[in-house]
Amino acid sequence: MFQVERAYKFILYSSLIIYIVSLIWGLLFTQEDFVQGNSYRIIYLHVPASFLSQSLYISMAVASFVYIVWRVKLAAYLVISIAPIGALTTFIALTSGSIWGIPTWGTWWQWDARITSTLILFIMYLGLISLHSSFSNYEKADKLLSWLAIVGAINIPIIKKSVDWWSTLHQSASITLTDKPSIDPSMLYPLIGSMIGFFGIIISLVIISSKYQIFLREKNKSWIKEYV
Amino acid sequence: MFDFAFNSIGEAIYMNGHGIYVWSVVILVLISLLSFFIGYNLKIKKLKKKFNESN
Amino acid sequence: MNPTRKRRIYNILFVLLFSISGIFMILYSLNTNLDYFFTPSELNNKEISSNKRIKIGGMVLSGSVKRQGSVISFVITDYENSIDVIYEGIVPDLFKEDSGVVALGYLQNDIFEAEEVLAKHDENYMPPSIEIKNDN
Repeated sequence: MFQVERAYKFILYSSLIIYIVSLIWGLLFTQEDFVQGNSYRIIYLHVPASFLSQSLYISMAVASFVYIVWRVKLAAYLVISIAPIGALTTFIALTSGSIWGIPTWGTWWQWDARITSTLILFIMYLGLISLHSSFSNYEKADKLLSWLAIVGAINIPIIKKSVDWWSTLHQSASITLTDKPSIDPSMLYPLIGSMIGFFGIIISLVIISSKYQIFLREKNKSWIKEYV
Repeated sequence: MFDFAFNSIGEAIYMNGHGIYVWSVVILVLISLLSFFIGYNLKIKKLKKKFNESN
Repeated sequence: MNPTRKRRIYNILFVLLFSISGIFMILYSLNTNLDYFFTPSELNNKEISSNKRIKIGGMVLSGSVKRQGSVISFVITDYENSIDVIYEGIVPDLFKEDSGVVALGYLQNDIFEAEEVLAKHDENYMPPSIEIKNDN
């Protein structure tokens, strides 16, 4: 447990430094975009949050799978620990996207495939959280939650591919695994830095929320008493 | 690549009229992250206090 | 692997298969019925009644933007077919000739009367100095 504490501090502080340095670099030390001007700088906040909102859901679905098949209790704790943080990142992605939309698209909201599927993701996170808290029996709640989390995972490829499958207002991805990024290197490096930093910050959030969940659920066990 | 993109601090805040959008997103992100960290630490503290009282 | 675990995995796959097909059916119907998003070429092949609100996406034809007071007229093209658009109001900053646009409104006698004009931008990001270099 003490090692976890040290790892948590290390991850948190190093990723905070990376995130803040990349944000300052991106927001103040890169040139403006030739089309969007300065509003493009929201990319350094929007893209990491959108990326994490999807990857958190995938990790939640994987943990659900592990819980359903092997009944690992820790996996169930992870599922409910990740859900509020996933909701947070999705909320940041939606609001930052809306604010970005005002100066660039001329609207803060469109029922376009990418935006709508992200809204569905947000509602799904909220639904999972409220469902879990509506049960008094933790085990029943865990079982139902992990099933629903797996079913909802279908939304992730839809979000990912929505910009290619439908005509959307949202542009397609600038960074992909297969092609050369369509963003200039001077803008790309701070973006990658902000993604790594934000990732680390979210990992540390997941660590403390799981710590809370373990405390809450194992409070009657003797080892917890020794630790506290 | 590492040149300050603006001529003055005021210009960096104004960003040709886009500053309001950019900086409000920055504030939103920082506040929401901070509130989650504080929230979880408070919740854990509360639980620990309960343990100690029950022991 | 032990049989109960195997059964659980089969259960998961079964539920996933069902929900995938369900969602795809919903999306397919949404795509064909609700999302009236057309390119100028698609518009040519379809009969669209004038009381149906649709979206048209394409590029603003260069040299086609004309302003008369607060009324702006331009041509949306996909470089094969094009359509005339008129709009009264303020267009977004990114609305430029030769850049992406999405217009929402009604088709009246081959002229598209837009209620809303949105700028669409692509996934390319670069500083202005590099664009100048590319031009030379």
